[in-house]
Amino acid sequence: MNPRIARIELRRSAAPWTGAVVLAAALVFLCLIPGPWSTGSALWTAQWTSMAMWTRHMLVFLWPLAVGLGALQGLRDRRSKMTELLAGTPRPAWHRAAVQAGTTAFTLVSAFALLLLVGAVLVLAGDASYFHLGWLPISLVGALGLGAGAVFGMGAARAMPSILTPPALAVAALMVTNFLRHHRSSDAEVPLALVPNPVALLAPTVAEVHETLLTLSAPVHLGQTVWLLGMAATGVALLAAAGPRARLLALTPLVVGGVFALLLFPAGPRDTYVVDREAAAQVCDGPVCVTTVRQARLDGMAGPAKEALRLLSGALGERAPVGVRETTALRALSATPERPRDAVLVDFDDGALAGARGERLTRFLIGQGIVPLCSPRSRTESGTWEDAAAQSIAAAWVLGEQPRPLGGTMISAKGQAETSGPVWKRFSALPRAEQRERIDAAHTAALSCKGDALTELNGGALR
Amino acid sequence: MRWLTLYARSRHAPASLAVVLISALAVWALARTGDGKPWSGWLPVLVLVAGAAAVSVGLGGQDPALERTAAIRWMPRRVAHVLLGGVLIGAVLLAVQTMDGQQTSPALVLRNSAGLMGLVAVGAACWGRQYAWTLPCVWLAFSMVVPPSTDVVTQVLTWMLLPSGTAVGTWTALVLAAAGTAAHAAVGVGGGGVRR
Repeated sequence: MNPRIARIELRRSAAPWTGAVVLAAALVFLCLIPGPWSTGSALWTAQWTSMAMWTRHMLVFLWPLAVGLGALQGLRDRRSKMTELLAGTPRPAWHRAAVQAGTTAFTLVSAFALLLLVGAVLVLAGDASYFHLGWLPISLVGALGLGAGAVFGMGAARAMPSILTPPALAVAALMVTNFLRHHRSSDAEVPLALVPNPVALLAPTVAEVHETLLTLSAPVHLGQTVWLLGMAATGVALLAAAGPRARLLALTPLVVGGVFALLLFPAGPRDTYVVDREAAAQVCDGPVCVTTVRQARLDGMAGPAKEALRLLSGALGERAPVGVRETTALRALSATPERPRDAVLVDFDDGALAGARGERLTRFLIGQGIVPLCSPRSRTESGTWEDAAAQSIAAAWVLGEQPRPLGGTMISAKGQAETSGPVWKRFSALPRAEQRERIDAAHTAALSCKGDALTELNGGALR
Repeated sequence: MRWLTLYARSRHAPASLAVVLISALAVWALARTGDGKPWSGWLPVLVLVAGAAAVSVGLGGQDPALERTAAIRWMPRRVAHVLLGGVLIGAVLLAVQTMDGQQTSPALVLRNSAGLMGLVAVGAACWGRQYAWTLPCVWLAFSMVVPPSTDVVTQVLTWMLLPSGTAVGTWTALVLAAAGTAAHAAVGVGGGGVRR
């Protein structure tokens, strides 16, 4: 490619605008609009993998945009009414095609790279302690997807030169990315799609991040790379193709790439989204363990957690848990979390834990140790009023104070106080031995998820 | 009559109409092959967005500068064009759905067609007809990613997907429709540098 021509093309065409629009749209979305990408433990700058996955997720709207804007670019010669003039020049058609496609793809890839750079700076400024390069393929495929989409759009618009082509392509792409999207559901631990898994992987988007330990498996990267390269090759070929036969022939790379990709893609969602073993490895300080991904939390957690374990062993005797560890088991939406007998299991998706430090953390861990949750609490799951009230009562009993509502949950502090208040009044009036019995009963009920902890604390019947 | 025919031709009316119909039928066919509740959620909105995008290419003619010199009052004609476009896309959606024996609430169709036509009119007035489709497409794509919430900003962002009768959604659509129609009526199609 002649660098001088490429420079002129960059200066004079709408390619830089395409890149700017894509970058601005993504940044506005990630930085200004509140959503799961901006809060909780899986926010987009929490970890390298989360950053890569959220920026990939943004392709849900960036990819249709790239395809549509690419198609607009492809119509340029026709808009300028100079196709005949260009057909008369001795320069081979593919020279022009390469320059046009190259600059657009270049600006889009640069825009995506800039987006990643912003993300990387924010991740570095945050407390991510797990550095790895496993996120890189996720982003590389994303950048390739944007470039290939735009080039394909250009080629398609050249083959069907109508002012209606860009909107039609964009809407079609929008429909494809949304039909083929993976969603978190209550049916499985990993995101599922409405269509067969290999077909869903043809879209360059990924599911939204709800679990920082999940990453994409290698066959997915490989298949998508093959498919997107085929798409880009078809785009360039369509740009340079002169007659109907050449256009038909130009579809070959797309079809071949698609077939190969479908063969390479894993059959099920469980082989698509896999746990990053290194990220999930436990890092321990005595009996307190967290995953490598959240190593940064360990220092602040070890002290309060050991204190909580000491108090718990005083309260529950030999039934008390002997360790605190972060859960790594995947679970479906709203599914019951695991509840081991020997450890207090914590999940950083729980808002009550995420913001807790020092004494508040101790109180939370005591509550969680005596009344482990049966219905999960996270950004999208509210947990139950009864569990929240029972946890605050249990912690208050162990610490010898009035119950304080858990912060950071979907259940309001006022609501928690209203639920726990009357129960605490009756409970605290009982003799110590009976209180102890009820705490034991609540612990048993919560561990087995049979019966309800608050009901046990209230002596068998609620209200 | 002759003027109308020529006008319709210069506005790609037959091609736009064909695309509106084809996209509605395509989504209808896809929804039928899908599972139990075909027209739920965003599919009707997608049909309207596709329709608005297809109609938007007719908001300007081949040569806006030349048209501006015509001794015709463009303003009422442009307003009529936007309104008719809205009526058309809404009617096509309702007609296709009636074939299927189910219907999105007419209030929602009315709100969304008005708001979407306003959006493409804004786009046409600002950047020219070939870029007008970007606004509704990007907005729909945005609102499908933003999780639903009762927060006003979120509701404005996702106005297309809100159930009919939600005050914020209705007002957003009204503002968009009014602003778009007014801007297009006053300016026609814009887009200085990129107009060719």
